[in-house]
Amino acid sequence: MNGYSRRDFVKSGGALLALSSLPLSMVELAFGKGDAQRFTFAYISDSHITQIKGREFVRNWDRGLIRAVTEANLLDPRPDFFFYGGDIAQLGKRAEIDHGLDILSALRGQTHYVIGEHDYYLDLGDYWRKQLGPDHYSFDHKGVHFVVLNSILTYDHWTHDRWGSGEERMQQMARLDNPQGSPFMVGEAQRKWLQQDLSKVSRDTPLVVFSHSPLQKIYKGWNFWTDDAEQVQALLEPFAKVTVLYGHVHQIQTNQIGNISFHAAMATAWPWPYPATYRQQASYLPKLTVNMNRADPFFERDATGWQFIDLHSGLANVHYTLPGNRNRVVAFDEKLGHPADLRYRLAANREPSQTHY
Amino acid sequence: MNRTYRQRSVPRTLALVLFAGCTQLQADPFSQADLMRWQQEYASVVERGEKLFHGGLGNPNTVSCDQCHPNAANTHPETYPKFQQQLGRVAALWEMINWCIQNPLESPPLAADDSRLIALQAYITQERKGVKLDPGKH
Amino acid sequence: MIKRLSLSCLLLGASFTTSAGLLGLPPVPVPVDNPQTPEKIALGKRLFNDARFSADGKVSCATCHQQAKAFTDGLPVSKGFNDLTGTRNAPTVINAAYMRSLFWDGREPDLEGQSMQPPVNPVEGGLPDHGPQLRVIRGDPEYVRAFKRVFGVEAGQIAMEHVAKAIASFERTILAGDSPFDRYFYGADQTAMTAEQVQGLKLFVGKGRCVSCHRIEQTQALFTDNRFHNIGIGFKKIRGKEQEIAAAYLQSKHRGANVDVTVLTKQDMSELGRFAVTENVTQVGAFKTPTLRNIAETGPYMHDGSLETLEDVIDFYNNGGRVKENDPLSGFLSGGIRPLDLSDREKQQLVAFLKALTSHQLEQLTQR
Repeated sequence: MNGYSRRDFVKSGGALLALSSLPLSMVELAFGKGDAQRFTFAYISDSHITQIKGREFVRNWDRGLIRAVTEANLLDPRPDFFFYGGDIAQLGKRAEIDHGLDILSALRGQTHYVIGEHDYYLDLGDYWRKQLGPDHYSFDHKGVHFVVLNSILTYDHWTHDRWGSGEERMQQMARLDNPQGSPFMVGEAQRKWLQQDLSKVSRDTPLVVFSHSPLQKIYKGWNFWTDDAEQVQALLEPFAKVTVLYGHVHQIQTNQIGNISFHAAMATAWPWPYPATYRQQASYLPKLTVNMNRADPFFERDATGWQFIDLHSGLANVHYTLPGNRNRVVAFDEKLGHPADLRYRLAANREPSQTHY
Repeated sequence: MNRTYRQRSVPRTLALVLFAGCTQLQADPFSQADLMRWQQEYASVVERGEKLFHGGLGNPNTVSCDQCHPNAANTHPETYPKFQQQLGRVAALWEMINWCIQNPLESPPLAADDSRLIALQAYITQERKGVKLDPGKH
Repeated sequence: MIKRLSLSCLLLGASFTTSAGLLGLPPVPVPVDNPQTPEKIALGKRLFNDARFSADGKVSCATCHQQAKAFTDGLPVSKGFNDLTGTRNAPTVINAAYMRSLFWDGREPDLEGQSMQPPVNPVEGGLPDHGPQLRVIRGDPEYVRAFKRVFGVEAGQIAMEHVAKAIASFERTILAGDSPFDRYFYGADQTAMTAEQVQGLKLFVGKGRCVSCHRIEQTQALFTDNRFHNIGIGFKKIRGKEQEIAAAYLQSKHRGANVDVTVLTKQDMSELGRFAVTENVTQVGAFKTPTLRNIAETGPYMHDGSLETLEDVIDFYNNGGRVKENDPLSGFLSGGIRPLDLSDREKQQLVAFLKALTSHQLEQLTQR
């Protein structure tokens, strides 16, 4: 007979778990009020809304974005604002951008947008900027300086001279494993802009930088890559507390390079494998990463999700909201000096579905 | 007596061997040229599989295999046959490919001997070349 | 009479201690601190049927879990003390031994925990606490003798822990496998199911997309994954108000409100489902996958009993998680739910297959 103890069940519902699944109100209680720099914002990314024809869109990606918006609206108290991390559309079409913005309009609060390559390469961001304003900008909020970059640009020749049409160029950029792809970059012009922008910010002001590409070099074959990553990181290096939040990779990734914490967003649409699972090429994985679970493809929302960020004294805790799985908190550990997954930091605590091979 | 037999049989045996060499009477007769030709034919099927995998199936909802499986990553051909939860039993790779065609791709399944299904398997397995067999691994 | 019951329990007990178990079912999980014995099972059965454990002396476990009705009550939602109505449909006790959590929202981890809740719920047993229950037991000489024999405790030491263990032991004997499906699928008996049912099975693991939650495996089938999913039932009752209801619920919970009482007495909060237990925003409106074994006998269906027939259930799934084809969809809808595009014929075949999950053991169980 299979013997078991009731105590085993009760043990698994311990206090540590509370932190990773509670909505905001409980997070505040856990951390205690009184930190003037404490506030939260929600971060949704990579919806890849795809038009089939007319008003018919791929149901799976629609439902993913709807689910994230519906859940994010439950946050109580409300987050200060929302961020959208890029790739609203799949092929950059107006219908796709409009449909995505329509779904996102249900968010209860102001939303700031980051551009992704799937939004950009059809018309080089024309329609995006018309609807949403500049694709790179900055603002201040409660003592934190927010910067949004367009980090999915690439070489001029590939962008302007290589392809016969915007549609063809977009199709090429849409394919992740494209041998004819071209690496992402922030580019010289924007780096100059960033340098200018940051020159007006004091060194002890916390920075949060939004970028679609990782601002790191992870795996070039899938464009998990920013070609001028080191140069951008060098511009951020003088600041005491920097957090980079990026999309594009559709998986949990965590890293710390010097003073910069890096966090990847989950996609609402579909998950991507970790690059190391492609055995024919070498890749680098941000080394603090504790893998997300492997998806059960039956559940269309498995290994997708959204996140909310809880900033305290300029340091970020990322709360990953994962349908069908235990939610995760990757919190900045001041003793360690880098972020760490609260529940799964120790290998012994990991679940089988977190093993990717 | 033996010596006489041997003297007369050596040339005959030799002749037999030479004869066998000329008319390929070994168990598995193929040449270098055959090998190269068959390799090219295989490569062409892999190439077709790659195209099908990357949006070439023509399914109305436009979802393509490479969206979840760039370079066929995370398909794990080396683990089949194995218990496949979505099918409720131990299944082979081609059956799971069909599951994906029916579910995320919302398209009718392919027959087991459909050349498109063969091509997909060729591409998927080719991208996983060199990885040790581990049937049953979940 | 007790002796006879013990004997039949022994016989039933013997049938599941064989290594193979009932066809299609795994061995029953039994906790190390509550082993099965014939006397404990008999005691549990008495407690299960004892209506004195309620405020008006009329409600026992068997009120909502009637043997004759496959251990349910045939109502959309159950009625307890004073005919008060709750918010949830009574699940069957048959094969509940395999559940890894109990109640539609999994708020209790085992059978031992489950049986303690209804007597003290205002719309079920209506008792203020377990005091009256223990007083009845300690004042009943037959109970005192039985508890002494089974647990080695004197009258004054009889506690709810013992009551719960005895009831759970009894419930662990309420099993039914070896259905026509089991004989066809695991018993290799090609004649056990009709041609229509065989087609229904193909749909169940194929186009119907049922098997991922209502699990069938290579050598056994529990027809549940023991997980929680929002399939779209009941969300209309709270649509557009989820945020306020969730916030109000959390406030009341953190001020000490009892989950069991709240979800059975407050209709809107009841619809929060698993969220009420875990406070996880991804589980709003999610309810536990029940087993489909004997499903033809345990209607009406769903956590609120809102679907009357199996045909209604198939239609609901075929429409992608809604009663009518163009009803709005819940924003919290599980990623496993989508329109299925089944033909009328295919729907009939699925219903036929579901009927093949009725075990012949039901006859014995309901007549005991």
